[in-house]
Amino acid sequence: MVPTRIVPKATGFKPIGLNSSSLKKFFPGDEEDMDISSDMSVVADPEPTPQSAIDHTPEPQAEKSNTPIPPQSTEDEQPLPRLPSSPLAPSRGSSVVMEEEMPESSLPRESSPVPPSAQPPLDTTDTGASTPSVQTRSELYAIVSQVGEGTFGKVYKAQNTVTKLHVALKRIRMESEKEGFPVTAMREIKLLQSLRHENVVRLYEMMVSNGSVYMVFEYMDHDLTGILSQTQFIFTDAHLKSLSHQMLAGLAYLHHKGVIHRDIKGSNILINNRGELKLADFGLARFYQKRRRTDYTNRVITLWYRPPELLFGATIYGPEVDMWSAGCIMLELFTKKPVFQGNDEIHQLDTIYRVIGTPTADRWGDVANLPWYELVKPREETPNHFREMFRKWMSPAALDLAERLLCYDPTARATAVQAMEAPYFTQEEPPASAPVGLVTLRGEWHELETKRERAKKRRRNETAIQ
Amino acid sequence: MATDFWSSSHYKRWIVDRATLRQARADDLLYIDDPEHLDFLAIYFADVIGKLGKKLNIAQRAIATATVFFRRFYLKNSYCETDPFMVIAACMYVAAKAEETPIHIKNIVQDARHTFSQDHYGVKNFPSDNSKLAEMEFYLVDDLECDLTVFHPYRTLLALCKSDEGAQDASPADEEEAGEVGVGLTPDDGPRYWGTGDGQLELPPNGLQTAWFIVNDTYRSELCLLYPPHLIAIAALYLACIFHPATQGIVAARLAAGASASASTNTEPPPRRSSRQAAERKQPAQDPLEFLAALNVSLPLIATIAQEIISMYTLWERYKEDSVSAGAADPGSPAKGTPDSRGDDEPGGVVTPALLTVVLTKMREARLQDIAHPAGGRPGAVNKMLERTQAAG
Repeated sequence: MVPTRIVPKATGFKPIGLNSSSLKKFFPGDEEDMDISSDMSVVADPEPTPQSAIDHTPEPQAEKSNTPIPPQSTEDEQPLPRLPSSPLAPSRGSSVVMEEEMPESSLPRESSPVPPSAQPPLDTTDTGASTPSVQTRSELYAIVSQVGEGTFGKVYKAQNTVTKLHVALKRIRMESEKEGFPVTAMREIKLLQSLRHENVVRLYEMMVSNGSVYMVFEYMDHDLTGILSQTQFIFTDAHLKSLSHQMLAGLAYLHHKGVIHRDIKGSNILINNRGELKLADFGLARFYQKRRRTDYTNRVITLWYRPPELLFGATIYGPEVDMWSAGCIMLELFTKKPVFQGNDEIHQLDTIYRVIGTPTADRWGDVANLPWYELVKPREETPNHFREMFRKWMSPAALDLAERLLCYDPTARATAVQAMEAPYFTQEEPPASAPVGLVTLRGEWHELETKRERAKKRRRNETAIQ
Repeated sequence: MATDFWSSSHYKRWIVDRATLRQARADDLLYIDDPEHLDFLAIYFADVIGKLGKKLNIAQRAIATATVFFRRFYLKNSYCETDPFMVIAACMYVAAKAEETPIHIKNIVQDARHTFSQDHYGVKNFPSDNSKLAEMEFYLVDDLECDLTVFHPYRTLLALCKSDEGAQDASPADEEEAGEVGVGLTPDDGPRYWGTGDGQLELPPNGLQTAWFIVNDTYRSELCLLYPPHLIAIAALYLACIFHPATQGIVAARLAAGASASASTNTEPPPRRSSRQAAERKQPAQDPLEFLAALNVSLPLIATIAQEIISMYTLWERYKEDSVSAGAADPGSPAKGTPDSRGDDEPGGVVTPALLTVVLTKMREARLQDIAHPAGGRPGAVNKMLERTQAAG
């Protein structure tokens, strides 16, 4: 079985709705707003209710530690009987299949994997006659747990009840939106549908279910923040080099496509058990004009990863902003925690000064022209301590590269492509090697859990003190 | 490379054939007296979308996207079973967001109420409640399968043409208008998948604009569901060359010269290939037909599309705004000059928006009645089965 994702089909989904169900929607009143939360529990939360087939696959993650099966391959060998469509949830004609989308599995199929999707938009126009597979499509995903909180909604780990494959479901929060479908979500969907790269998280399809819109992503076991906080698995220099390289490759692709990510940070960099790194969460990303620079908001990028030009109020910027964040991440890979942890904009700049010194005219010619320069300029000069501070963690070539990424002058900052050609990757030993050993790591490490864990520990400590 | 047209959902999932279009209207056909009115409804709805767009002062590209969304929606739904005016408002709302020029929901509701309540549309009861539109938006996005990136012919036009008035730099607005946000490539990055990549067509003043207007007009038909946008652009260019006085002469001469001439040109080094510098030195005008012929596209297909555009104009000729029902044709459109020699002997004659509004209302009422009294409706397979079962039992 080849678990690679050979997926020729465009991202999207086939609504299972019969013709009549879609028109019923038009005369609201006959089906008023469904209670989302209660529906969620029907679709979801397989743990307590013995209603779904996934129960006999008890917590696949735990077993994974001693099986070398990559997480995305099928976890069950025996062919599963199709679930009778759940009697609990009346299918609203909008759930979705992704059998064709997913990697080949060992499940029996009604037909060959020749895409029946040649003309997907049309099958619903067919009056009356519905294909037999429609009925089995009702509850396709069972939610396993929450794994994150995106810019506009929660992210869940879920399992395809048919193929047993895990996916990440990102629910787009609609109810709080006065302006309907959020523009940011629309932007993210459009962006992700047009991106395809091994270092960019893959959007399999969109799904509408029970009055919510979900984005269905490939499942990634960890995020960078989470995995750097664990101590079981030790990353070697070769691993870190590979992670840096994969991140830069993802960025190079985005920038080539004319996309600025604008929110590169630990929790948006995902890693799976095969040691693959992928950029995620495009809620703040934008297309930019390569030839004409336009004004954007500078209230982007999580503070700790925000480049100095944005802190100085720049609104005209390009992909260089992502490269600063990449530099921060690169240091974080070695030190295991964020390097510039400011509390507010001013403090953020101070934190940066303390490491790489204050920007001077020769290091950054344009700095004095930036909008907020007078407001936030450094009070006194600080020398650059960067090399002394990081020498104990990083090799000379790694230091060189990090320095070129954390360059004050955005115009002189290394681009993603330049960074990938740095001696750190091309000359210095050891050569990059993906941390495939992550397969042996127990548990899944996400920032969310790390945070919860930390909060729990804090509470324990507090009670202990009392 | 997923941002190119060939790997897009637009190409893979939303280009359909005629049979599909026919099937999509099957239900409507049951409730309409004159099937021809369905073709007029296509024009009618495009007009409504255009009017709402103008009222909202929204970019042409967003109007075009809204129109495409509308057409896609009605691949899966029937006019008679939905409220097309609500759908139009939702299409506009989603398109504005998808094209990065979002509009507040209350503005859409307000302007939609105003536009639709005009006499010939007569929609007096458009809900003033934002939540109705928000709900419709949700169903729309669902039926659009979240495929929100739409390609339009405008970009191809700009990539293929050089406007004479030194406009290359003077029209950043046009370029802005043409570029798909979400497909962040300007015409000069990336391969020009549709053509030879050699040179650009030099059009006389206003030539590009004529082609641009023709493209605008194509949205009155269902062409955007049938053909890839770059082919529509090339067909529009071709028509522009024929309609436009300045190129008309050249084209006519070329056609008159006939086969013998074309044989001789083949032996010469083609002047058109000598590319931009040559053109800038004000050499004799290139031959537009030859330029189009050299593009790497199927010419019979272009001819078919051009023919369909002309048919649309023929139809549109008979579509008259009520207020000026005396027959003041819109002078802005290039094809309106055709003599109405055939318009009179057509069974339908002039069709007005008011008439179509009545047709639409009748369709929807008839459909509703059928839902209420299923026995009188279509011979439903379900009913028959039920009868059989009952007979057997």
